[in-house]
Amino acid sequence: MKRREFIAGVAAAGVALVAGLYRFTDLFVKHYPPTPYDDLLGQLTDREQAAKLGAKAAIASDALSQAARLRASLRGRDLVTAANADIAAGRLVEVDGWLLPQTLAQLCALAAKI
Amino acid sequence: MTALIDARSLPDATVLTPDLVIIGGGPAGISLALALANSKLNIVLLESGGMNFDPKVQNMYAGDETGVRYTALDAGRLRFLGGSSNHWGGWCRPMDEIDFEARDWMAHSGWPITRKALEAYYPRAQELVEAGTWMYDKSDATMAAMAPMMPLGAGGVYTSWFQFSKTRDSVLPTYFGHRYEQDLRAARNVTPYTNANVTGIRLAANGRNVDHLDVATLDGKHFTVKPRQVVLACGGMENVRLLLASNDVMPAGVGNQNDLVGRFFADYPTPRDVATLVSFAGGLPAYYGSNTTAPNGVILQAAFAPTPAWRRKAGVPSSLTTVEHAVELDDTGKAAVITTALALGVNASSAQAYALGCGMELAPDPDRRLTLTGEKDALGLPRLKLDMRIADSDFALYRTTLAEFGRQLLASRAGMLRLNFDHRDDWMKTMDWGNHHLGTTRMSSDPKQGVVDADGKVHGVENLHIAGSSVFPTYSASNPTLNLLALTLRLGDHLKKVMA
Repeated sequence: MKRREFIAGVAAAGVALVAGLYRFTDLFVKHYPPTPYDDLLGQLTDREQAAKLGAKAAIASDALSQAARLRASLRGRDLVTAANADIAAGRLVEVDGWLLPQTLAQLCALAAKI
Repeated sequence: MTALIDARSLPDATVLTPDLVIIGGGPAGISLALALANSKLNIVLLESGGMNFDPKVQNMYAGDETGVRYTALDAGRLRFLGGSSNHWGGWCRPMDEIDFEARDWMAHSGWPITRKALEAYYPRAQELVEAGTWMYDKSDATMAAMAPMMPLGAGGVYTSWFQFSKTRDSVLPTYFGHRYEQDLRAARNVTPYTNANVTGIRLAANGRNVDHLDVATLDGKHFTVKPRQVVLACGGMENVRLLLASNDVMPAGVGNQNDLVGRFFADYPTPRDVATLVSFAGGLPAYYGSNTTAPNGVILQAAFAPTPAWRRKAGVPSSLTTVEHAVELDDTGKAAVITTALALGVNASSAQAYALGCGMELAPDPDRRLTLTGEKDALGLPRLKLDMRIADSDFALYRTTLAEFGRQLLASRAGMLRLNFDHRDDWMKTMDWGNHHLGTTRMSSDPKQGVVDADGKVHGVENLHIAGSSVFPTYSASNPTLNLLALTLRLGDHLKKVMA
């Protein structure tokens, strides 16, 4: 085996290892079981923290109806856009006293239900 | 130079006949005397105490309380020369124009004068409190040059500024008795008497004029003052006691023909830790949490105040929210900061949290009142009882302003807010009071709505005026000293005219 091939092989193995660790372990990124709401929850950069906060949200409805309401209010917008629109319109919700944009609060509550 | 006369040295049954007698040697009484110093008026200033605290004198302030927990009546004020300025914190801020307006969302609001009527008197009031150059809400650029201010998005709350009474060596604010004793002595036409307690405002038989004052000392001397004009400047509680107790001609008490004297008592609730503010960018400049000296020597501290436009739109009273101290967040708080900052695309890795406190304006309430009890003090004057109240709506309206503040922090991506209190019990747990006694002889052009008119004259009594914050019909959230001094100086000009 030529030296160049050896190095390329090691590099490829390294990439494969990192990709594997990334995909199949929580070493680089937390993995969650698939849900019917991944299109929504994917907007949360740190789902664990969001779930911790969302656990304090007093939203009574089930996850399915909650997700449906969220999709309707997001109307295809990303979270930043929707949150800023909430803030501008004064649509704030209290979660354990913290004033949050309504969309963010609902997303956190959904994250806590999964 | 005149002397400060100890009334205990006067021969019994002395009769003094000055042009004007000022009852009370606190900030209002002293400032009025100085405003009229070296005029042609012969002025007597009667102070109940001496130059220093005396428990026997102070005991005359003791009284009863009912209702919500409040400072003991003999603890929130001081009875010696300089009055309650002897324990004030030096916080100064002028009232806003809107504070004087009749507001349809606030029952019993509306002064018979506007802020314009005080403009000419604020500069001298500012000198008296020794707060330096008038800056207040023009301080942004000066303070931002020291350290950048926290940006607030457009909305109902803005950064306002307190100024502080002068710090001299280890002496904090201006204590009016000590600071102005020499000025009083230097005034040729002012004779201050210490240890002189007014025990009765005696009206002429027709009830339309003060004929004389009964004055006593704690060691048993009695004397009389027969002035042309009287100014009552004993503070928002003692003014009430003297008026109500002087009931020999008017059975309901002097100026109380419409049952208003003692009603509408107010103070500033100052609950602590009302909210938690998180600054995403990290620590706030020192001027948010403590008084800070600007390069020009003026001492300032930032506060968050509702704009007049927001007060009109949301129907809320005045309030001043201040940063108290840094706090650690719990796990939920940390999750809230991380999640919100990520959602807004903000770096909050250095975020710092702070507890907020406030001074709130209460809505006027006729049932929050002072009345006389059957118990008497050492000179035979009935003691007071305070029925202290605070409405749930007072808390709710302030909370509305806090929520708007939280919205603005998010809008500016500068931070976020936690509202720490929701129920009345929460608010009451950390409740404290400003110990400013307001509103009990309120000002109105209508005798059925107020005890004094726009000039501070008691309705129905030609030669009796009242100075001090007891005449405030609404209260603002600005500390009263600067404002009551401006009003008192205006009264001084009025007296010069009517006594010319």
